[in-house]
Formats: sequence, C-alpha cells, structure tokens
Amino acid sequence: MKAEQYHIRPPKVAEKLLRLIYDDELLDDILGDLQEMFQDRVESKGLFRARFHYFKDAFLSIRNYDLRRKRKVFQNNSIPMLKNYIKTTFRTLAKNQVYSALNILGLALGIAACLFISQYVAYEYSYDKFHSNHENLYRVKYMVYRGGDLQIDCAAAVPRVGPFMKENMPEVVDYARAFPMSGVFEKDNIQFREKRVQVADPAFLKIFDYPLIHGDAETALAEPNTVVITESIANKYFGRTDVVGESLNLYTWIEKTLEITGVTKDVPDNSHLKYNFLISYETLNNETRNDDGTASSETAWGWYDFNTYVLLKDGTDPKAFDEKFEDVLYAERGEDFEKFNFKAEFPLQPITDIHLYSNLLQESEPTEQGDGDTVFFLSIIAAFILVIAWINYINLSTAKSLERAKEVGVRKSMGAYRKQLVNQFLTESFVLNFIALALAVIVVIITTPFFNQLIDSQLSRAFFLQPQFWLAVIGIYIIGSFLSGLYPAFILSSFRPIQVLKGKMTTNKSGILLRRALVVFQFTASVTLIAGTIIVYQQLSHMKKLDVGFDMTDTMVMRGPQVFAVDSLFGTALNSFENELRSNPNIADVTNSSNVPGDEIFWTRGMRKQEDTRDKNFTVYLVGVDQEYFPTYDIEFLAGRNYDKTFTTDTGNVIINKATMEYLDIQTPEEAIGQKVVYGGNKRTIIGVVDNYRQQSVKNNINPLVFPLTETNASFITVKLKSNDYQQAYDETKAVYDNFFPGNPFDTFFLDEFYNKQYANEQNFSRAFTLFAVFAIIVACLGLFGLTSFTALQRTKEIGIRKVLGADVTQLVMILSKEFLILIAIANVISWPIVYLIMDGWLDNFTSRISIGLSVFLISAILVVLIALIAVGNKTLSIAKTNPVKALRYE
Amino acid sequence: MKGNNLGEFEELILLAVASLEKEAYAVSVKEELEKRANRVTNISAIHSSLYRLEDKGFLISEFGGATQKRGGKKKRYFQVTNTGFAVLKEAKELKENFYKAIPQLAIIRI
Repeated sequence: MKAEQYHIRPPKVAEKLLRLIYDDELLDDILGDLQEMFQDRVESKGLFRARFHYFKDAFLSIRNYDLRRKRKVFQNNSIPMLKNYIKTTFRTLAKNQVYSALNILGLALGIAACLFISQYVAYEYSYDKFHSNHENLYRVKYMVYRGGDLQIDCAAAVPRVGPFMKENMPEVVDYARAFPMSGVFEKDNIQFREKRVQVADPAFLKIFDYPLIHGDAETALAEPNTVVITESIANKYFGRTDVVGESLNLYTWIEKTLEITGVTKDVPDNSHLKYNFLISYETLNNETRNDDGTASSETAWGWYDFNTYVLLKDGTDPKAFDEKFEDVLYAERGEDFEKFNFKAEFPLQPITDIHLYSNLLQESEPTEQGDGDTVFFLSIIAAFILVIAWINYINLSTAKSLERAKEVGVRKSMGAYRKQLVNQFLTESFVLNFIALALAVIVVIITTPFFNQLIDSQLSRAFFLQPQFWLAVIGIYIIGSFLSGLYPAFILSSFRPIQVLKGKMTTNKSGILLRRALVVFQFTASVTLIAGTIIVYQQLSHMKKLDVGFDMTDTMVMRGPQVFAVDSLFGTALNSFENELRSNPNIADVTNSSNVPGDEIFWTRGMRKQEDTRDKNFTVYLVGVDQEYFPTYDIEFLAGRNYDKTFTTDTGNVIINKATMEYLDIQTPEEAIGQKVVYGGNKRTIIGVVDNYRQQSVKNNINPLVFPLTETNASFITVKLKSNDYQQAYDETKAVYDNFFPGNPFDTFFLDEFYNKQYANEQNFSRAFTLFAVFAIIVACLGLFGLTSFTALQRTKEIGIRKVLGADVTQLVMILSKEFLILIAIANVISWPIVYLIMDGWLDNFTSRISIGLSVFLISAILVVLIALIAVGNKTLSIAKTNPVKALRYE
Repeated sequence: MKGNNLGEFEELILLAVASLEKEAYAVSVKEELEKRANRVTNISAIHSSLYRLEDKGFLISEFGGATQKRGGKKKRYFQVTNTGFAVLKEAKELKENFYKAIPQLAIIRI
C-alpha cells in the first residue's frame, strides 16, 4: 500500500525548473530531498499544500543558480584532461601519418606564404617612417599648367620655393633642398664614378634622421666646399670612418676639392631619398653666382631639379596649406603667370606616401619606387592563402571524422560532456596549428634570402626580432586555431553515441555541402591565381617583344668621361676616340648622346612654332645627339634627313619625333620639314622627323622628343657591336678608353639589360604571383585529396557492388572523379569574371597591353584539372582496384 | 585561519550536521534546525549553505540511501571534516573570550 502512495508525483513544471537551476552534479540529490519533503507534506498537509510548498521551494531555489559544481569539476580535472587530449592528438597524428602530414604541411605552407607576404608588405609600408618627424615632413611637388593642361608633374621643385615658403608661411618650421648630381670622386688617384650625390641645405641633417657618427649636424653643411659622406663611402676611400678633416676631389661640372665635415650612417634601405655624398649647398651657390652676386640656385623659379622638403608645425593641414600658398604664390609670381600664360603649383606630398603612391618625373630613385596597388594586392593574396590553408584543415579534419566517430561515441558514453569534446578538438587544433606555425616560421627564416633574391626585396632576418612580427604570428595562431578548430569540433562532438557505436554513420547532408563549398572556394582562388599568373607572364613577354622602335641588340653603352675639362680639346679627344673605335672590325658604329633609350630625360624645354604665340608652348624632352645616333639605333626617318657632318649649318637645324610633330599641330612629316620652331630661346629649322620610339618602357607615354645636335655631349657613348663576342669587344673598348681618358672609371652596360630593368617591378610581381599560385594550388590539392578520400570511403560499399555487377576500373575512376570535376568546373566559372575584372584593371596600367583571351581561361582550367587528377588519381585508383569482397565485408 | 569566519547560520548548519552524526542530509538538517534552534528555513537555503560549506572544505559528502519515498533518488550525506571541527572550535573559543571579558555575562555563566 505504501508504495502506491508514492505514486503521487511532485509537479512536473517545478521539477523542470529545478533541472534548469541545478547542474547534473547536484540535481539528483536535491530532487530527492524535495521529493521526500513533498511526500511528507502530502501525508501531513494534503496534496494541494504539498504542491504549493514544492513550487515555493523550487522558486526559492533560483537563488542557488550559481551553485554549480561543474566549474569546480573542470578546474580539478582540466590539467589531466588536457594531457589526455594532447596525448590523443599525437596518437591520432601517428595513426594517420599521411593525413597528418597533409594537414600540417598545408597549414605550414599557407602560414609561411602569408608571413612572407606580410613581411614584404610591412617593409614597403615602412618607407621613411624612421624619420622622427615623418608625420610633419612633406615634399614640395612642382606642377606646371599651360593653357589648362598639366604639362609637368615633377617630384623636384625649383630652388626658390623652399626659402620662399619659409619666409611667407609661418607653418613652415624649416626646409631642405637636395639637388641630385653624379660625378667622379678622387682621392690619391683612386677614382670612382659616384651616383647618389646630393647637394643639400644645412637643415637637411636636422629635419631628417640621418645620424652622424662623426662631425656636427648643426655645422656640417654650413660652409662652402664641404661634404658629408656615409660610413661605407668613408670605408671605400679611406678604409676607416673617422675621416672628418680629410678631403676628396670632385670632377663633374663642378670641380672642387671638398673637405669632409661629417660621416653619417648609411642611408636605410627604406628611405625614398638615398645619398652617398651630401655636398653643402653653398658650394653650388658659388658655381651659379650671377654678376650681381645672387645665385641662380637660390633665386631661380624655373629650374626644377631640386627635391624640396619642408617640415611643418604639428597639426598643420597640408590641404589648407596648399590653398593658402596658392594665393601667396600668386601675389609673387602672378605677373609672370599672366605674361607667359602658364601656372605653377607647389602642392605638398607627405613624405611617407612617396615610396608607394608617387610616380612623378624625376623621382629620386625611380627604379625603386613601389606600387601601392601591388602591395595591397599582395596583402589580399596573403589573406586568401591563409584562408585556403585553414579551409584545408577544416576539410581534412571533418573528413577524418568518420574515424574519430567511434572515439567520440566511447568518450560520450563514458560521460564526457559535449563541451569537453569541443575542448578536446579545439586542443587538437591548437596543437596542430602550433606545429604548423613552428614549421612555417622555420621555413620563413631559412628561405628569406632565397625569397629576397626571387623578388628582389631587402627583407632582413632582423625582421623576426621585431615585436610586430611575433604579434602577427600569435594573432594568426589564435585566430587560425579557433577558426579551423571550431567547425570540426562541433561536428565531431554532435555525434550520437549509440548510433556511432552501432557503426551506423549518418552522413550529414549540410556538412558535405559545406565541404564542397569550401573546396570550390579553394579552387576558385587557385584558378584565379593561375590565370592571373598567365596573364602577367603574357603581358611581360608582350612588353619585351614589343617593337620599341629602335634596335637594342649587341649594343654596349659606356658613360662618358668626366675627369676632363670640357673644352675644345675634349671634342677632339672624343672624336679621335670614336674614330679609333670605328676602325675596330668588331664595331659597327659609335655614337654619343645625352641620353640613351631606357633612361629618363630630365632636359626639358617649352617649344612652339616660330609664328605661334607663347601660349602655344608645350613641354618637349631633349636628347642631345651626334650624326651617328639614328643610324646606330636604327631609328626610322619618316621624312627629311639626318644631321650630316658635311653641313656646318646643321647646328641651326633640329630633328623631332612624330609626337612632337603632332604637338606642333603639323599633319604629315613631309609638311614639317623646313618649318621653324622655337624652344628655350633657340630658333631652329626642322630637317627631319623620326618615327616614335619607346624612349621609356610601355608603362610610360610616348613623349614629344627633340634631338638637337650636340656633337660633344658625351654623357653616354654607345657602341654597336658586330660580333657576339662581348668579352673581346669589352676588353678592346676598355683599352682604347683608358688610353684616351685616363683617370676615368670605365663604366658600361648592355642596352637590352638596361632597358629591361624598367620591367623589374613587373618581373618581381610575376615571380611572386607564380610562387603564390603554386602555394595555393598545392594547398587546394591537399584539400581535394582529403575530400576524395572521405567520399570514397563512404562509397566503399557502392563501389564493391558496382564491381560485382561488372563495372571496370576506368568506369569507377570516372564515377569517383566526377564529383570533384564538377566542383572544379564551378570554381572555374566563378573565377573567370574575377580574373577578368582584376587583371583588366591591372593591364590598364600599360600604354600597350594585351587583351585577355579565352586561351588564358582554357589553359588555367586544364592545368587545374590535370593537377587535381594527379593529386587524387592514385587514391581513386587504389579504391577502384580494391577487392570487392573486402569492401562488402567491411561492416 | 583568516577568511574562514563562519556566519551564524553556517555555524548552526555545521553544528546540526555534527549533531546528526551520520544521518545528516539536507532534509534532516532542516528538521534538526527546526527542532533544536526553532528556526524554520526553506530547503533551498539549507542546500545553498551545505554545498558552500562543502566547497570551503568544512564538509564532505557521500551518496547513499535511495528510498522510494524519494523517487529512487539518492541522499547526499554530509559529515563535518577535521577542518570543519577546527573552525567550530575556533568560533566557540572566540565567543568564550568575549564572554570572559564581559562581567555581566560571566556572572550569569557562574
């Protein structure tokens, strides 16, 4: 009878509430206590009041919500459990060596690629940030408008603007000009032709952070005929660095003995402005002194060779400054602007933007200029590769879930909470990511020099000592572990123990869909990168094969002598030198000129037809040539004739290119002959029009060129060789050169190499692109391999039955491959518009570009399919070949 | 034993558990309190204190005695640990010190 009595149950709702309040750990005995009291009350007070009290007790229990024991249990057990997780991790790793290797390798590759790129990107962004004033330092640009058109957009400004700004703009704290030169330096008969010689204001060493090792920054550049050199230059000439008080002889258009007043550290690689020598500005002033005592290098408003930097007061807005200065400038120069119908502007450019976002005339280091777009592009690629690698991990881990299912089942029936299982798989993810990361860091550190060589960068291992690097690494580690670990962890921990232990695997449809989506994503990225690479290569070879309009084969160029008084004697010597070379049977032709193709021309003038008014002036670029220039370079005449030695009147004549003719508004080359033009105050008659040739690479526009006759302008002497025996030609030419111009360094290069250096950026870009495309495809294939193994395993039975029914291996491979072939097809289709949009934009940077053909997409598609087939072929084949008995018996 | 000061209610619970010897579980503790201290409390307060005292290490618990009346649920029996007894003793001595120092109370005590 008594047992019956206890059939009265306490109210279910209240029980439910209690279950919510109390943790499993406490629930049982508390429910028991309450039920015992309930039964007592039923006896003593009746059912209704017992129920009421039960409810009351349950409600009051809400205060015990935090009486959870779980937390305490975890604290007590977490360390042994963690040990267990790590142990299991290594056991699983050891059990599936191929999987583990694929997984870790994929991750390591992805992280390594990402680290490389971020290292490169960080370096590119670090330009000029080492100046403690970098936020307030600006370069003064020089822009000239004629008739509303921008004619000159130049990095170097005029000498007057710096002092003028300081005098009239209170925001300017100080200014410094740097006038680039090159020349021969001599010390006790050791001579070197030196580049990166800057004539600099005294403030140069104050506003910039180029620390002096010897000498005083305040006074180093104050006196005329003084020079500050870098550490390595000091070592080069003297073998030591404490050389203050010593002197060097300079030979160029300035010939002086310069006293060394300071030695600085070498200029950091990430400085847009580089120097080896800083000559005091007063030295230049003394050379440009006019009769009235003023110096052109202080007063000129039209001589734009002076990189001008200003240091502004904290918090000055450069835009407002520009606007204000426009008015100040107009007050001073407005009269001239009106008179000559032009307008000059001097906008400020933040010094930290110069490296990546500036592409002006007369950049200090034009070949070193970076490209902000490329850098940004690379950052995106880096992120993509990392994501691909993480996806790979997710894919492989979920694919492995079949094998782990039993483990999950056992753990769950032993009483593991779901949360514990999630913790377990997250721990695994953390361990794997750690191994991969360690591997990646080692790879990066070891291969940095190789990478540098490959893409011509200056990354140093010192980078790895910087805290930012390690922050990035830790960031990648934590984010990556969570991202790549969470999904598999939730999938695995969701298995129902009974089903799993019975061996019945339910395949989660949405899980497979997700995995397929991930593979599609990976291959989309791979195809995009591969197609991108192909396009970059095509454009590169297109540019190299492009008819540049002149012949650069077998052409050797030497820089003209500078340790030589430029007087009448020089002309004679140069002539005899050239004639002697011409008599050499290996040499076809010799010419001297102020520039060679591939070289940026700094010599510009305003030009117009003689009968036109001044407002028709446009900027032309001048190349001084002798009579042999056009034949040597095989540049075609459209009309008229070349300069001729027999015509002494040729100094009053001029040859122009087709672009100049078009600027002059002349319709045909024939019409141009005999027309009179004026440039820079010279009146000349056009005697010839040459076809346009690419003075600079196809990245640049074809500028209007004018070729005045300058028989002894020997900046460059070009030698056209007959034979391929460059070594012999070099030796013979050097012998003649040394004989004629003793004391001059023999400095030569081959024109094709020199010209193609203009494509160094694109070449690096394509190499980097290739490298990362390879990375991406490898990682994607790893993911595909995982997916194929997974699906194949699931279809073992199906394959067995098919085999029994007579399917042959080929058919089975087809069936197995069909799935991922569809995925790859989808990936291809997705990537096409992406490739087209991105690469079309990139190609627009070039004045002569290829169009993106269908072949690019076909090639990349075939390539990806082939690579994928190779990657999974072995696996599918082995599955297709297995004995069907084994497959059908596997349960 | 800094930080181990007992609240008055906690002290009562500890004393009740100790006096019940091996029969102390939440319901019996509640009844003991009602009987000896004339304190009517809700069971949830008893639960709360018991478990907290266990967390502090003054009590230990073990399962036993599932009855039908309890719907087959086990009881959780509590016992006072050595630490628990030490704390009780300390609390007592603390009070005695005060009692000794206060003449009125000391007289009453005689």
